[in-house]
Amino acid sequence: MTVLEDATLPTAVGVVEIRRGGTGGPVPVVYLHSAQGEGAAMAFLEGLADTCRVVAPVFPGFGASEGLEAIDDIEDASFHVLDVLDRLDIARVDLVGLSLGGWLAAELATRWPERVRRVVLVNAVGLYVDGEPIKEIFGRPLDQLAADLYADPDHPVAQMMRALALAEGSPEQIPFDLIRPVIQAQAATAKLGWNPYLHNPKLRGRLGRISAPSLVVHGRHDGIVPRAHAEAYVAGIPDARLVDLDGAAHMATLERPTAVADLVLSHLRG
Amino acid sequence: MPYPGLPPDYDGPAWITCPNELYDPVLGGQIYNRYIDELLYAEEVGFDGVCVNEHHQNAYGIMPSPNLIASILARQTKRVRIAVVGNALPLYDPPTRVAEEFAMIDCISGGRLIAGMVVGGGPEYYSFSMNPAHARERFAEAHELIIKAWTEPGPFEYIGKHYKLRYVNSWPRPVQQPHPEVWIPGVGSLETLEFVAKHRYAYMGIPYFHISVFERMFSLMREACRAEGYEADPSQLGWLVPIFVADTDAEARRRYEDHFWYFVRRLLPGINISPPGYTSVRSVENVLKGAGTFALNLKTWQEVVDGQYAMVGSPDTVAEQLGANIERLGVGNLLGLFQLGTLPAEDTHRNLTLFATEVMPRLRQRFGTAEDGTGEAHP
Repeated sequence: MTVLEDATLPTAVGVVEIRRGGTGGPVPVVYLHSAQGEGAAMAFLEGLADTCRVVAPVFPGFGASEGLEAIDDIEDASFHVLDVLDRLDIARVDLVGLSLGGWLAAELATRWPERVRRVVLVNAVGLYVDGEPIKEIFGRPLDQLAADLYADPDHPVAQMMRALALAEGSPEQIPFDLIRPVIQAQAATAKLGWNPYLHNPKLRGRLGRISAPSLVVHGRHDGIVPRAHAEAYVAGIPDARLVDLDGAAHMATLERPTAVADLVLSHLRG
Repeated sequence: MPYPGLPPDYDGPAWITCPNELYDPVLGGQIYNRYIDELLYAEEVGFDGVCVNEHHQNAYGIMPSPNLIASILARQTKRVRIAVVGNALPLYDPPTRVAEEFAMIDCISGGRLIAGMVVGGGPEYYSFSMNPAHARERFAEAHELIIKAWTEPGPFEYIGKHYKLRYVNSWPRPVQQPHPEVWIPGVGSLETLEFVAKHRYAYMGIPYFHISVFERMFSLMREACRAEGYEADPSQLGWLVPIFVADTDAEARRRYEDHFWYFVRRLLPGINISPPGYTSVRSVENVLKGAGTFALNLKTWQEVVDGQYAMVGSPDTVAEQLGANIERLGVGNLLGLFQLGTLPAEDTHRNLTLFATEVMPRLRQRFGTAEDGTGEAHP
């Protein structure tokens, strides 16, 4: 299995972290992470890196990536990712995004369709679907959130979230090093998705601009994004198909890394 | 201005999602008038000031527009300072609205307004769907705009990141020159302390924490002033605390305790939600140090007494405790909450009377009156 390396990249907004590795494939695969900042989706990324060049930038505000103060909305975020691609000399790209990262992938593919060869959206937010709201992610008890994010209650992250929830009445007892990244990640997500809530009202009307063949993946147990959102993406993107994934809730690339990697690889080859 | 009528079987939060079916407009009208009467009575018995504040979509404080209540007070009082603590600036768009309304209150009252400015509580950012990650930026920009609107000749153009106004030209202008005194309430966010120190405003510590939290907060405020090259004046430090006076200690507790618990257990749940980006990482760390002592975690009356969450007792006891704490904290402004939770009108009235006649004179004797103020506050 190919091991990814950590690196840093200076960008217009500041120095960001990236994970990268692997070779092969017609164009590099760029993975855009979710609001959970799963830099640890390593099993999934390494599954891709065996046959592809993989780059996973860490978004400003997540991990040690700088520059959040220069980013106010999804438009700024899109231009930031474009900047990352330019600085890595990636002329064309296969985009894979989970949740918030899926939204970003769709924004990029509508704005610069000529630069995007294939798209994979996993449990992507970004659209408003009447009567099918995206569930609240801000300010909810972590144990409840964990149940929406993970189909398997014994997933290590779900277990950690439940442990943190127990201490919520006395947060000063939690080591601040555990809290800091969560606070930063939520602040970054709020900038992009507080209001309008995790969507861009203009995105749906632009989906017709996406020229890349697109795979839309819905985790059958996703407690955050209803399936209707995956259907809306498929309805709006000219060449798109929907796959329902068993045994996964929202954090599909963490819960079913191999299955998602297989889906992605077969879509990229097709 | 607490809503006293939450049904006994409702155990949800008092904020954001507390169903407004639970609000009875007839009762609401009665208590608005009652609370206004209590604020007017505070002037009658000799308080230096009265305070009102702003909260939205909650049962804790039913004053979404403190400026409406303050304007009534401006007209109906003659002497007291009227402290609006404050307007949640980011919720006013454009914030020149605050410059206008505060100037109106200052004009009607003949220059008695204290202009409080706040970022707004965490729940407000849910209730307004306002992006909390922009809260501090918007607050800073709105503050700058309001002070300019009061102090620079209009019309002028203001182009900021969040507010772009081609014609700023506030009518009316405030009576107080160059502008009304500014107070900033806070719970210990470092940015706020530094902001207050930089502008030489007054900082008001928000209650419902262990007394040690206030000690730390005011010492941070003094440090922030020193970092700006001056020593904090006591008038820059305000301590807000629930007060209840009765004839004896035992009677005070007997008459007060249930109403206090209604406040803590029914009205505080939900107030402490901190939306993402609302507080900087370093401030979260600071605020969290006191979070465990937040009144919501109180279980027994002994904890209330030990942590000095409220000053409750006979005139002797209250005067002694207040005096000791004013000294310990080094504050120049004491803001008392004389009504809390379900405390009925007659108890509130008697509380104000006893405090004004038995406690206030002793505090004035001990600390002088030159710079000190005693206010009746309504959260």
